Amino acid sequence: MQQDFKETFLEVLKAVTPIVVVIIVTEVVLLRISSGALAEFVIGTLMVVLGFAFFLSGVKIGLLPMGEAIGSELPRSGSVILIVGIAFIFGFFATVAEPDVQVLSGMIDIASNGEIGRGLLLGVIGIGVGFFVATAMLRIILGVPIAYLIAAGYLAVLVLALRTPPDFLAISFDAGGVTTGPLTVPFILALGIGVSSVLGGRSQLSDGFGLIGLASIGPILGVMAMGAIAA
Amino acid sequence: MMGIGVLSGIDHVIMDVTLALVPLVIFFIAFQVLYLKLPASYIFNLLTGVIFTFIGMVLFLQGVHVAFLPVGQQIGGFFGSMEARWVIIPFGFLVGFLATYAEPAVRILCSQVEESSSGFIRGSLLMLVLSGGVAGFVALGMARLVYDIPFLPVMVIGYFCAILLLPFAEKDFIAIAFDSGGVATGPMAVTFLMALSVGASAVIEGRNPVTDGFGLIAFIALAPILAVLLLSVVFRIKKVKSNAV
Repeated sequence: MQQDFKETFLEVLKAVTPIVVVIIVTEVVLLRISSGALAEFVIGTLMVVLGFAFFLSGVKIGLLPMGEAIGSELPRSGSVILIVGIAFIFGFFATVAEPDVQVLSGMIDIASNGEIGRGLLLGVIGIGVGFFVATAMLRIILGVPIAYLIAAGYLAVLVLALRTPPDFLAISFDAGGVTTGPLTVPFILALGIGVSSVLGGRSQLSDGFGLIGLASIGPILGVMAMGAIAA
Repeated sequence: MMGIGVLSGIDHVIMDVTLALVPLVIFFIAFQVLYLKLPASYIFNLLTGVIFTFIGMVLFLQGVHVAFLPVGQQIGGFFGSMEARWVIIPFGFLVGFLATYAEPAVRILCSQVEESSSGFIRGSLLMLVLSGGVAGFVALGMARLVYDIPFLPVMVIGYFCAILLLPFAEKDFIAIAFDSGGVATGPMAVTFLMALSVGASAVIEGRNPVTDGFGLIAFIALAPILAVLLLSVVFRIKKVKSNAV
């Protein structure tokens, strides 16, 4: 586990270093920030790197096995309603715990001066993902091709986009983008692979894939609907 | 003084993270009691992981709040209030490229595609196409702020291109392409780039942070979809040609 953590830490460090170097150069050369502010940024960056490494390791040894355990146990029940219902709850909880989703919701709250609240936004994004993960499970059970669902989903996005107030438009698409994070993706994949492997007969590979693409349509539609209601 | 700055607001972060993780754990425990009945030692391991996740999320979010978000807004505000504010466009290109090229998830996707195409599409080529694609879309996002380019047409044209490519793409690649939308929207890039865009939109006259500052993540998510689909079409043409010979 220690070895694992070290590897994850180095990987995260490698991923942030180029951006951090650009930021520091910009801050020092162009903005001429004080050394105190620079130190604060560096400490904050170390917290980000260390925190993300902890998070990824924690997901790997804790949350992911939980997802796999539920994902493989669930289909054995044979109840379609139970599978679809649990998939919804699964998608919801994994999404609201996703760091990206938390950051985006907080940022929108601040930028809109609290008019688009963080808590409500988190809930809507979670429901959006939950609904589409549940739909994706139905798809695996019924054997509907993924391309149909994706096409239908994006068609709905297009139609709704024309009626979405501008305050919610860009936000809704961003909400779709952040749901594909390091917690949601493995969590949902574990569930999808569990369901398709137990139900058998279908191509496990192409069934497991496509889930994430579908899951990101949900929040777009959800936030758009939220905008339509607010207007 | 400085130590206080780094920790300011951490109580809120701790509460948010607790609220986010507790339901997940309760849900699992209910499942454990009702169906799974896994051994206690195994459960203990899982809970260690949950504690790791908790510590990680608190540190990460706090770091983002005290470092990445304020600095992103600050730099965005700086470029936005410059005479030559177009400088933010190449700056966005640079950061977008670096962020994608260094992202571990991108490397995983590239080797996955190389395998699925039995080596026809080289991973290193895809890395360049992806990073360049993301960089281009980040630059476009910044240009949108500077020149007031409307958001929706860009998205519609982007997804329209993706749909047009669908019939020509390999079936296996379609799923990979749509799943790959998220690889470039990693937490590092998203936090800083989003703040950069919001910061710039706050100072440029006539722009509104809510309507104009957001939307960048959506642009970034489009790039890998288009890149993978495009390479899949190229791959297919290559295959047909080599079969014909």
